[in-house]
Amino acid sequence: MSDILLPLLVTIPLTLAVFPLLFGLRFKNAGWPIALGGSLAVTAMASLLTAEIYTAETTDGQRFIHEMAGYPAPYGIELVGDGLSTLIALLIGVVSVAVLIYGRTTGPQSNAFYSGYLLLTGGLLGMALTGDLFNLFVFLEIVGLVTYALVASDDSGMAAYGALKYLFLGTVGASLYLIGVGYALVATGTLNMLDLQSTLAEIGYTDPLVQASFGFILIGLLLKIAVFPLHTWQPDAYTYAPDTVSAYISALVSTTAAYALIRISYDVFTVDFFAANPLITDAVVLVASISIVVGSLLAAMQTEIKRVFAYSSVAQFGMIVVAIGLNSQTALFGAVIHLVGHGLMKATLFMGAGVLSTAYGATTVSDYAGLAKRAPISAGAMAVTGLALVGIPPSVGILGKWYIALGAVESGSWSVAIVIFISTLLTLIYVARIIETLYFNAPTETSHEEATASESVDRVAISDSPVTDGGHTNQVAVERIAVVAILAVSTVVLFASVDLFATLLDPVFGRFF
Amino acid sequence: MTDLVSLLTTRHAYVLFVLLSTIGLYMLIANQNLVKKIIGLNMFQTGVFLFFVTSAYRVGGSAPILEGGPYVSPLPQVIVLTAIVVGISLTAVGLALTIRLYNEYGTLRADALREVIGDE
Amino acid sequence: MSDDRTDGRFDQDGITRQRPAYTESQVIMTTVKAVIPFVMTYGLFITFHGADSPGGGFQGGAIIASVVLMIAFAFGIESTREWLANTTVVGLGTAGVLAFAAIGFGPILLGGNFLEYTQYYPLLGSTLGLKPYEFVKYGMEAVEIVGIAFIVSGILMGLFFVLAAGDSHSEPGDAGSKFDVLVDSEGDRRDGADSASLEGETDD
Repeated sequence: MSDILLPLLVTIPLTLAVFPLLFGLRFKNAGWPIALGGSLAVTAMASLLTAEIYTAETTDGQRFIHEMAGYPAPYGIELVGDGLSTLIALLIGVVSVAVLIYGRTTGPQSNAFYSGYLLLTGGLLGMALTGDLFNLFVFLEIVGLVTYALVASDDSGMAAYGALKYLFLGTVGASLYLIGVGYALVATGTLNMLDLQSTLAEIGYTDPLVQASFGFILIGLLLKIAVFPLHTWQPDAYTYAPDTVSAYISALVSTTAAYALIRISYDVFTVDFFAANPLITDAVVLVASISIVVGSLLAAMQTEIKRVFAYSSVAQFGMIVVAIGLNSQTALFGAVIHLVGHGLMKATLFMGAGVLSTAYGATTVSDYAGLAKRAPISAGAMAVTGLALVGIPPSVGILGKWYIALGAVESGSWSVAIVIFISTLLTLIYVARIIETLYFNAPTETSHEEATASESVDRVAISDSPVTDGGHTNQVAVERIAVVAILAVSTVVLFASVDLFATLLDPVFGRFF
Repeated sequence: MTDLVSLLTTRHAYVLFVLLSTIGLYMLIANQNLVKKIIGLNMFQTGVFLFFVTSAYRVGGSAPILEGGPYVSPLPQVIVLTAIVVGISLTAVGLALTIRLYNEYGTLRADALREVIGDE
Repeated sequence: MSDDRTDGRFDQDGITRQRPAYTESQVIMTTVKAVIPFVMTYGLFITFHGADSPGGGFQGGAIIASVVLMIAFAFGIESTREWLANTTVVGLGTAGVLAFAAIGFGPILLGGNFLEYTQYYPLLGSTLGLKPYEFVKYGMEAVEIVGIAFIVSGILMGLFFVLAAGDSHSEPGDAGSKFDVLVDSEGDRRDGADSASLEGETDD
């Protein structure tokens, strides 16, 4: 029964995506309830699936395969749900619900926006659950297309510029991925991931066609993950997009692309491929290490908050790609934990930045001066999440980094462990700068505004104090702050969840290694 | 030298694939006009489609409809069809964004846009 | 010189360009009026004959959409958009998706996999007089003709009008709610207030 959940997970958001447009002909605000319903349904189904895999006894029950249209494996397209993919599906569901609740009263709210939101959720789930290389390409392009449209759903020209830049680079990445898939198809004649595993092994991992195939797939996915030097689209796209969209895509789009890279590297081209091609693993580790250092350095140099977080993503995903290249089980375990944890942390950080930007118009680091007194909950949530990003225990950030560093040391790459340590220090630089500005810097406005701010305190129930800004009060809806606070707490609570991850991921890694 | 000649005569389609893709990529990178960048992107994708269709071809093969005789492989043809649809949607979104940028900034040149937006 | 037709934009040589107004061309109008029924028939032909010959839903849908594009070029984009009501375009697209979903989900309700057309045999085999394996062919045809052709034609028509409206987005509201895909009709919300606070705004 449960493998029916797999096509439902993918197709229900895609089908529901037409309803905001359809009902929008009649009603004005039909988009948000439909999107929320779809996201809740997706989260429910993903948790059901995860629970079934978590409690499964036999190795058969730990992996669900759904053959589309009943065609058996090498001929048809399969949807595969094992511990790794359902974990990502659960992350997608949770983040989409959270961002929807956050974005109920702010940001773009047209029916077409919610339609695109549901399409993006469906595309991400399709990418996470598919077992076929070309199906992955199709969903990769769906995700990309809707992301370009959503990034541009602001009214400003800068959003269109960021979206166009992302479009050019993202399409080149997807086309390079397609070339890689084409080489694999020419070499073996099949596109199914499991089938490719055995047929590629027969051809031999030192065959230039197989190596070229992996090379193109790697570069294409690295463009989508935004690892240095292929990251140039990311700061513009994340900064100029509306806050709701930034939170959603920073948490999920690169995450799912990194999941796809993990899946292809270890399920299609197995560890034996990496063992037979040390040049490829060395190159991946080198590029990713450079990305870690450069990303953190560039993040520390930025003044605009959203740019800081965007460059920090470059560094964090560099860490995940390093773990992929290390070819060790512990490092991969850390990479998956860091994928999930980073998704939650980035979403929280962008949503918190959106709250502060709406309430106080604060977009640069210096604008954050002294905001902690007036926005205690949001500032606290951002501080906690920032410390989690650095890797101060107990948080989910330290968990991922710890296992990656452990895996690096175990496989003998001391340089990688040193690079991770350096990046932690660099992350501490920009996070500490934000926290210091929030808590310890004096607020920079005149006493006139302070007086009016204090007398409007009694009008406020739970939300942060509004500030007078040229005669308009900018009050922030309660649920936005609640979402930010809850997600920040979750990043700390997930520190205790190692066993959860281990139970879900051990059968998967048992197959990989 | 003979290797190059035999490459050009027997595998000309693959040579053309590399040529088209590289020219398209070069147009995308080097040209400053946004519409020409989109055209270059399209050309790059067309090169990839050419590669797929060529890989499906069989000498003496017929269309993959049940008639008899060797068939060309239908799978890459379906892949190309889907990828063409994707390419059209991308072109449409890209052109819509270009129109919006033109309305906002009055220029179609990427270097001018970089200067203007970098200053904001 | 008709200065009101220059929109003040400079092209890369620094020359102000005039926006070309729609000019009625008798040649185009007559040609289009004569050719359109044939193009439409050809589009439908290609849609229906996708299984045994080149064609199918996407190609046919694109040709059907080109009918509307030709009408727009011949008779003016604004008047075509008013004639082709917003409802039609949205309806085409959504009807296609819903038809695809219905045909695909049916087998799940009947106990099979997604898009497994042979599951329809116990239900519809006697009424339609088809063997189980023929359901595969006709199921795929149904998805192509009713699903994909509708979706493609609707989306291409809608996209054309969105692109054509691109240089007149000063009043996004009157073009219909569908065409606000790239223009948020409620104004810039990036740094502005929540819409909830705008309703409860008191003027001090």
